[in-house]
Amino acid sequence: MKIGVFICYCGENIGRTVDCAAVAQAAAKFPGVIHSEDYKYMCSDPGQNLIKQAIREKQLDAIVVGSCSPHMHEKTFRKAAAGAGINPYMVEIANLREHCSWIHDDIPSATKKAIELTRIAVEKVKYNEPLIPIRVPVTKRALVIGGGISGIQAALDIANAGFEVVLVEKEPSIGGHMSQLSETFPTLDCSQCILTPRMVEVYQHPKIKLLTYSEVENVEGFIGNFKVTIRKKARGVKEDLCTGCGLCVQKCPIRKVAKNEFEEGLANRPAMYVPFPQAVPNLPVIDRSVCTYYKSGKCQMCKKVCGRDAVDFEQQDSFVTEDIGSIIVATGYKLYTIDKKPENSPIQGYGEYGYGKYTDVINGLQFERIASASGPTSGEILRPSDSKVPKKVVFIQCVGSRDEAKGFTYCSKICCMYTAKHAMLYKHKVHDGEAYVFYMDIRAGGKMYEEFVRRAIEEDDVKYIRGRVSKIYEEDGKYIVKGEDTIAGMQVIIDADMVVLATAMVAQPEAPKLAQLLGVPYDKYGFLAEVHPKLRPVETSSGGIFLAGACHSPRDIPESVAMASAAAAKALVLFGSDMLEREPVIAKVNAGTCAGCFYCQKVCAYNAIEQKEIKNRAGEVIKVVAYVNEGLCQGCGTCNATCPSKSVELVGFKDEQIFNEICALY
Amino acid sequence: MEALQKIAKEALASKEAAFIIGYARVPGSQKTRPFIARDEAEAGQLVFDEYCQNNLAVYLTRIARPKEGKMGIVAKSCDVRAIVALLQENQIKRNEVYIIGVNCSGVVEDPAQPLSKENLAGKCNMCQAPQPAGTDTVVGEAKPYERADDKVGKLLAQLDSLSPQERFAFWEAEFEKCVKCYACRQACPLCYCEQCIADKSQPRWIESSASVRGNFAWNMIRAFHLAGRCIGCGECSRACPADIPLMLLNRKMGMIAMKEFNYRHGSNMDDPTLVGSYNNSDRNDFIM
Repeated sequence: MKIGVFICYCGENIGRTVDCAAVAQAAAKFPGVIHSEDYKYMCSDPGQNLIKQAIREKQLDAIVVGSCSPHMHEKTFRKAAAGAGINPYMVEIANLREHCSWIHDDIPSATKKAIELTRIAVEKVKYNEPLIPIRVPVTKRALVIGGGISGIQAALDIANAGFEVVLVEKEPSIGGHMSQLSETFPTLDCSQCILTPRMVEVYQHPKIKLLTYSEVENVEGFIGNFKVTIRKKARGVKEDLCTGCGLCVQKCPIRKVAKNEFEEGLANRPAMYVPFPQAVPNLPVIDRSVCTYYKSGKCQMCKKVCGRDAVDFEQQDSFVTEDIGSIIVATGYKLYTIDKKPENSPIQGYGEYGYGKYTDVINGLQFERIASASGPTSGEILRPSDSKVPKKVVFIQCVGSRDEAKGFTYCSKICCMYTAKHAMLYKHKVHDGEAYVFYMDIRAGGKMYEEFVRRAIEEDDVKYIRGRVSKIYEEDGKYIVKGEDTIAGMQVIIDADMVVLATAMVAQPEAPKLAQLLGVPYDKYGFLAEVHPKLRPVETSSGGIFLAGACHSPRDIPESVAMASAAAAKALVLFGSDMLEREPVIAKVNAGTCAGCFYCQKVCAYNAIEQKEIKNRAGEVIKVVAYVNEGLCQGCGTCNATCPSKSVELVGFKDEQIFNEICALY
Repeated sequence: MEALQKIAKEALASKEAAFIIGYARVPGSQKTRPFIARDEAEAGQLVFDEYCQNNLAVYLTRIARPKEGKMGIVAKSCDVRAIVALLQENQIKRNEVYIIGVNCSGVVEDPAQPLSKENLAGKCNMCQAPQPAGTDTVVGEAKPYERADDKVGKLLAQLDSLSPQERFAFWEAEFEKCVKCYACRQACPLCYCEQCIADKSQPRWIESSASVRGNFAWNMIRAFHLAGRCIGCGECSRACPADIPLMLLNRKMGMIAMKEFNYRHGSNMDDPTLVGSYNNSDRNDFIM
């Protein structure tokens, strides 16, 4: 094998600490090396040309580039090698920058180490084999999980590009939390007015298959080739027959049997209900936990009044399986319910604020409903307990957020803005009212955000107090809010009529389960993790699965929409080609020596290991061995390390290559 | 003994089992040997008593699978744990084996001597349940037996109290005796790999020369591969012609698995394996 070595100075990055010329000279004497040179910037065009020229002129079989991390320029040098006619996988990188020059300062010893690093790369490349990228077909169809604003945006973007989308929403209607909001910051435009046209567009879009009241049950397969099973929960209403006339809802005799979820428990709803007037699809659903029919077999009023015979009490959950190429997760968030300590959680809760105990201590979403024109008070600011106009309202920020001791370490990001909005909306409707905001810091980073907060303080006379609240208790019909003003350095006591808590945004409780189904990592709070926080913020470590919106971390509407479009763009990149090329650096099982213990299967994070039967000529199964699915394997090497008989090898990092590297050091 | 033979005969006659892996008497001796009964007449030779030391589970992965019927096996409670371990590790399926559990009253250490407190196998000292569980059928009765001092446990405690250098010296002396016959591997029910890593030559990860280095490499890699897997039958120690106390290593590993992860291999066929499972509450303070 004829090997060429190319040592890069990386300007001063390597050249300052490593005598690159000496490394190149030493490498020239390694067995198998017939060409060795150094250059200031190997990744530059002239640098790459040096490589190409040497490969052609000296008919090199393999090359070693002593440069920066393979994360940076391995692709560049592979392309250069391919351009000169050798297989791109006959290239090895000796990392002389991150592994050597950046971490040492003594030139002679760093040079010595650089020579060793180059030597082991040369020994490894001797056992490299030409590899061919794996090609897998792509199903050009997306699944979007979650029908909030993020899911809606992602679905519309993909559908408008001409590809089919399956949009799955677990609630009876799409719209998510945005549909519950009154006005949106920083422009104060009506949330539903800007959202509902999008919801209708989704419903009418010929490329979007909308599955509401449905949940993802199972996910199999890999990038470009997922098979997703979706459970359609039984509505009790036949979707194809129902016209959405609403008669059944009107006639349901048990009017106020359950807390209205859409109104955040501030109103009640019947057993047969449509979540809210603008629901998409406009189909009612039977709440079987409270419906009289399911309790006693009687009533059936809805069935009697339905002119289309669309009510079906016997309806069962059904399952559909969809072929999907790319999955966008947009499952959103929940508000932290602070009245009780969550199970199995280090979070302690804020019992001292009396949420759940005092009717007029409410959370941000409840205030949204009170302020909303479509809400239980028709937009009048009335407190829940006695429907009186509260004259003094205290808003408390960071309830649960940024609280290492009792809550979550992270910032929920949207509360500073929506609290300013709440205070402003309150002042716009109750002119003689007083609004107080307890805050830790005001984080108003965003276009027109700071101006918005200033407007609340300066124009609408909202009183901002920097400090925390220690306790809220009831006295003579007032809620006594005891807090501190850290700027004035004194205690503050406010006798409020209503208290609004900006509780932390938390991940959906089912998010970890879904993440496990999808093979996507998540943090200790249940937020799903991206691959790279800066350069790959919407991609997950599972190929073809992307993130949008608050399932990733707390974020506001503009950010969620932008992220959704980014995720859609990533899916569309995938759909741009018929075949998917994947790195051939994957695990391979030696079926001859595999003992079939399947420890590899147990430790594989990507579900890439399958069981394969080996048959003899008579068709009898003689053994069952592990088999690596090329589409799923990410080449992490965990199976390789786990296999007791060393029957799994990682192509590109085969035992012989690693062994030769180690031997070269001694 | 009649009960065992009767059950074995019935299982063979009904074709439930294609053969029964059991014990037969060594002619002219009280000692027993592994014996495979393939018909009713041969089933008449099956015996079980305190001289049945072998862990027969080792044969389940070595013997050719029958085309019809199950592999019958006579198993003490300790052997059942090996069978369960094999089930946990996908080496056999439960419907492929017909397990005749035998209630055990302890087996001898030295088959030339009768069973006594002094001549009790080390594993019997440790035995927590002489009645096998989860078998297809159970025969015999378990009589309580007198237990002797836990010699292995004592030696382990003694070794633990030594300095690393002293311990190393102890093992250096022990491993020096190793002749690389691999009898430990052959006798072990959990050493079922078709190609042992020690035999892998491209590349040769494990030094295989009959030198102190090679002996260390072999014995340590075997200990590591059995960490959290050894079910403690002691067959390796018993098979070793050089009398290397291999069970010291295995038992130490087992104790660590128990202490750190509350895990005992071969307890339940539905349990996830120690190395093949991850739990959020697993210790991770050793990760830097």
